[in-house]
Amino acid sequence: MTKELQELLRTPAAWLRENAEQSEMVLSSRIRLARNLESRTFTHCADQAELAAVRSEVRSAIAEAPSMAGALLIDMDETSEPERMVLAERRLISQEMVRSYVNRSLAVLPRETLSVMINEEDHLRLQSFACGLSLADAFTRLNVLDDELDGALEFAFSEQFGYMTACTTNVGTGLRASAMVHLPGLVHNGDIRQVIDGLRHVKLSVRGSYGEGSEVTGNFFQISNSITLGLSEPDIVSSMESHVRKVLEFEQKARDALLKEARSLLEDKVWRSYGILRSARLLTSREAMGMISYLRLGVGLGMITDVTLADVNEMLIMIQPMHLQFLYDKVMAPEERDRSRADYVRSRLGGG
Amino acid sequence: MLCQFCKTRTATIHFTNVDGGDVQKIHICRQCAEEKGFEYLKKSNFEKHDLIAGLMDDPAAPPRSGHRTANRCPTCGRTYAAFSKSASLGCSKCYECFGADIAKVLKRIHGNARHLGKVPRRFCTDGATTRRRLKELRSTLRAAVESENYERAAELRDEIESLRRSLADGKGS
Ligand SMILES: [Zn+2]
Ligand SMILES: [Zn+2]
Repeated sequence: MTKELQELLRTPAAWLRENAEQSEMVLSSRIRLARNLESRTFTHCADQAELAAVRSEVRSAIAEAPSMAGALLIDMDETSEPERMVLAERRLISQEMVRSYVNRSLAVLPRETLSVMINEEDHLRLQSFACGLSLADAFTRLNVLDDELDGALEFAFSEQFGYMTACTTNVGTGLRASAMVHLPGLVHNGDIRQVIDGLRHVKLSVRGSYGEGSEVTGNFFQISNSITLGLSEPDIVSSMESHVRKVLEFEQKARDALLKEARSLLEDKVWRSYGILRSARLLTSREAMGMISYLRLGVGLGMITDVTLADVNEMLIMIQPMHLQFLYDKVMAPEERDRSRADYVRSRLGGG
Repeated sequence: MLCQFCKTRTATIHFTNVDGGDVQKIHICRQCAEEKGFEYLKKSNFEKHDLIAGLMDDPAAPPRSGHRTANRCPTCGRTYAAFSKSASLGCSKCYECFGADIAKVLKRIHGNARHLGKVPRRFCTDGATTRRRLKELRSTLRAAVESENYERAAELRDEIESLRRSLADGKGS
């Protein structure tokens, strides 16, 4: 493995530390564009020779794209499974790509703000990440990259259907905008159900996230658009952003009410969680998520001032199972992982 | 593919379950999914294909005559049944072959079957660009009216009118 890949896997993305709007309640914004090459079979139906041809064509286009100057090009065939799993936990590649890696590649800027998956479900999956609620910025940056690649590649497109994708759920703009939000207030007062129903009603999808298992942990939710066809890209992005803002208003109200009605209870929860994180010797993923959720809330409300939101964001990435194994450079049983997780969190928070 | 629970019926719901570092593909039939309860599905990380299963026509049903243009894409060989099962396609030509059916599926998924967004450069010589421009102008017009900038709104209305006429004349841009 190259030194650059080592470095990338060992350090959390630089954008996680950026100052951004609404970062008390929004961890990250992500935009993804799906593109395919005209007159090439879609990935899931293509043979290896065709995948190889697509890859080399896309690679040379990326090499010429100014937005991707200085990008790392990682051929999945050259990586180990654990390395791919770290990349997947970081959302730079998909779970599918962990398993199907031959003739697949990832191009990524060292800051991880822009990346391109080659031969994922679609020939190209362009992604841009940003801290906080910055969907419009993330889209603008990605759109520039798309324009650059459009010069060198012939994308499969029809006037009626727009950008043609392997799956009909992505056709049209091929655009998926998502925001990772932290909603402890709404979970606490029980309004979260209603908010999720409301979002589904306007055709946005909501998923729990960041859990090691499959259930919602830590009050983190991912909101994204499900309609990709029949709307312009700016319309999709701005409508997403305004719905997310609405949710944040509700969350802010819920936090205000909590502070007004149950301040000592809340303070106790926050400080207790901070205390446990600084001293625990074993932390399951689930427990860590729950505690970090309170810590993040406490930091956002200004109760805790010696930890920053950026620290919390980085911890959320690094305590994932594959990240821990990678960081401590060994394969670990779940129990051992819980110990490493506790060690890592203590060291980050200056605990004893 | 058979349902991995009852091993008799065809699996119509496919999803990925992520548990710890383990990723599991689950293939399950509707009956078993219902028996296991929605809880089971809710707890799993849904991937989009599950949501589609309910939207598609029964692939085993006899084809209704009149609208289907092909049973197999001549370019990539993808069959109608395969498309119908997964709502996914084999190549861009599939979109022509199964056009009418795709439009129906897209209407159900997106409420709509016509692209209004970005257009690649090489297509920028035909009507698509004009339509896109029109769409942009309309949303700018809405914003202008909302912010009570009526002077700007009037300009925009004129521009929209002239673009619409040029599109109707088949000139494009
Ligand atoms: Zn079954
Ligand atoms: Zn085809």
